[in-house]
Amino acid sequence: MTPEAAQGATSTTLYPMEARISGGMLALVRFLMTLQNKRMPVARFTVGRDRDALRITLLLDCPPEQARRYTELLAGLEDVEGIQPSADTMEVALLKTRGDGWRESAAGVEVHEEGGTVVASGEPGVLDAWLAGIGDDVEDLVRLGPVARPGNGGD
Amino acid sequence: MENTAFNIEYMPRTGSEAMCEALLDEGVEYMFGYPGGAIMPFYDALPDYPLKHVLVRHEQAAAHAADGYARATGRVGVCVATSGPGATNIVTGLATAQMDSVPLVAITGQVGRPAMGKDSFQETNVMGMTLPFTKHSFLVEDPNELYPTMRRAFEIARSGRPGPVLVDVPKDVQFAACEHNGYRRLKEVPRPVAGPALEAAAALLRKARRPLILAGHGVTLSAAEMELMLLAERTGVPVVTTLLGISAFPEDHELYIGWPGMHGDASVNRAIDKSDLLFAVGMRFDDRITGAAHKFAPNAKVVHIDVDPSELGKVIRPTVGIAADAKATLRGILAHFEGAEDREDRCAPWRAEIAESQEPEKARVEEARDDYGPIRIMDAIKSTAGPEVRLVTDVGQHQMWAAKFFEFTKKNSHITSGGLGTMGFALPAAMGVAFAYPEEPVWVVAGDGGIQMNIQELATIRDQGLNIKVAILNNGYLGMVRQWQQFFHNRRYSETPMTGPDYEQFTAAYGLNGRTVRPGDDVEGAVRWAQETPGCVILDFHIDPEANVYPMIPSGMSVHEMIEEE
Repeated sequence: MTPEAAQGATSTTLYPMEARISGGMLALVRFLMTLQNKRMPVARFTVGRDRDALRITLLLDCPPEQARRYTELLAGLEDVEGIQPSADTMEVALLKTRGDGWRESAAGVEVHEEGGTVVASGEPGVLDAWLAGIGDDVEDLVRLGPVARPGNGGD
Repeated sequence: MENTAFNIEYMPRTGSEAMCEALLDEGVEYMFGYPGGAIMPFYDALPDYPLKHVLVRHEQAAAHAADGYARATGRVGVCVATSGPGATNIVTGLATAQMDSVPLVAITGQVGRPAMGKDSFQETNVMGMTLPFTKHSFLVEDPNELYPTMRRAFEIARSGRPGPVLVDVPKDVQFAACEHNGYRRLKEVPRPVAGPALEAAAALLRKARRPLILAGHGVTLSAAEMELMLLAERTGVPVVTTLLGISAFPEDHELYIGWPGMHGDASVNRAIDKSDLLFAVGMRFDDRITGAAHKFAPNAKVVHIDVDPSELGKVIRPTVGIAADAKATLRGILAHFEGAEDREDRCAPWRAEIAESQEPEKARVEEARDDYGPIRIMDAIKSTAGPEVRLVTDVGQHQMWAAKFFEFTKKNSHITSGGLGTMGFALPAAMGVAFAYPEEPVWVVAGDGGIQMNIQELATIRDQGLNIKVAILNNGYLGMVRQWQQFFHNRRYSETPMTGPDYEQFTAAYGLNGRTVRPGDDVEGAVRWAQETPGCVILDFHIDPEANVYPMIPSGMSVHEMIEEE
């Protein structure tokens, strides 16, 4: 998936990027403050641990040219170890369901059950469509991401 | 270990000593600060080191003084404050430095680690508070990290696009024993300037018939004044400077045409409107320059050179964007103008057109030159203090008048708060300039509003024996706000009339000299007296309360809505 082609739930062209930052909470606060301070159009924001660093996945709702400028700006922060457009972004959904409708998984969505929780993952737009498909079966839902697929990590 | 800079031997034992050692190793000469509880260990160590500390009377002034020193020298300025209110007081200074890309290291004491997060006495989250307007900040919780962190702070402050860096040090870390941690300077690899981009920029310059060079603060920061002049002279392209770019190019040079924007020269704004190429170097298309960005330079292609890649395309989309150091880039472009074919002066008709459009403005200035007012005051300071004078201005109408009428010919001789527009900046910033160049004349031009914001620094100036001369353009108003009220709020002068002290008595109370100058008085004589009187002198010029700065492009509008003097 090219960055420009990523489609979010609102069908807006979104630009995914991924950053690794060191420096813990202070670095994360600085990163968030920069997003807010420069009024970056953040559609989605996810943060997770990545060994000694934090890995952040962002979806920016703006033209690619502007997104590239924001990438440069964020790359200039001392705590940012790496930042790049994310070519391989996925979303994860943790579900509690009533029936077995979730077993009819769609192309591009990987699903399995673990300890009574259904774990589904796939590209953001594709996962949205799959979730819409199982509709009323869903009792509870937690969505994570978008995140970068492991092994990419903004390096 | 041996400190090579000062040829002394010592063994750092505490965090405070490691801090002093780092300052020495960075070649710090002066720092400006104010002690307090949480920074006491550092101040206790300080007298044992050959570091000169200037005790200010308010921490904001410490930050501005360090800023002035940094702007004047190109070196990193250093300010020191304690935790809590000491730290909050430097905030304006850090924001000022950040907006104008000034290299600064601010050292703040913090409450001890066990007291942190408990709303302890004089505890503030200075890191959190300053995140939006520091280039970087450190909270040093490991004493062994103190020395390398201090060194790293200096490196960050001066590298790339310079800016302020905060180092917050808990009190117990300053007391703690620490090992000496060597510091391996990270090798900064300058961003390479791509050959094709240089070629494209040169091609646009060569092809243009109505080009303008827009030079900003980045030229001064990069010490690229010579390269700028060479390029202008080889191409014959007229030069415009931004407010912070003033004095990057001599204003008496035949290619200099003025500065643009809200209060810039009308003829320059019109030239930009007609231009077919803007060659912008080390500037960021501030809204005070562009007004309505979509109407700015509608006919121009744009070459934009800036060391900060995130500036390219932020406001104006460049035809050719070059994210690199101004000096290196200008050198690269100059190499494309060495051939005989480039001797042809393609810009002569364009320059003639600009010169013609400048005539009405020049005539107005000449007409007013002998009248009592800002032009005559600027003329008097320039002619009395001489070409070596460094002028530090505050923020407001006087700042615009100084920028318009002073005719800066000396490199980096104009120092002002541009981006943040910080009233109260000039007097403390001038202290930094005076420490940097004690033999050169330093003048402050301020309004009667701004001067009162940090006027307590007269005590510092007196104690330090600084030879700073101050011209207050006193109109009894917050003049620029009053002007906006006149133009846009139907002359409702809401809370802008302002009084101040009798400056003659006020300066006398500080043991200094002052004089009031009124219409009809001998302006030149007063300036001469100030220049010849040793030490700091204040001249309180009472000027027309309703004098305005012209032209004026209303905020967010274009050159077509420019208000000009009738």
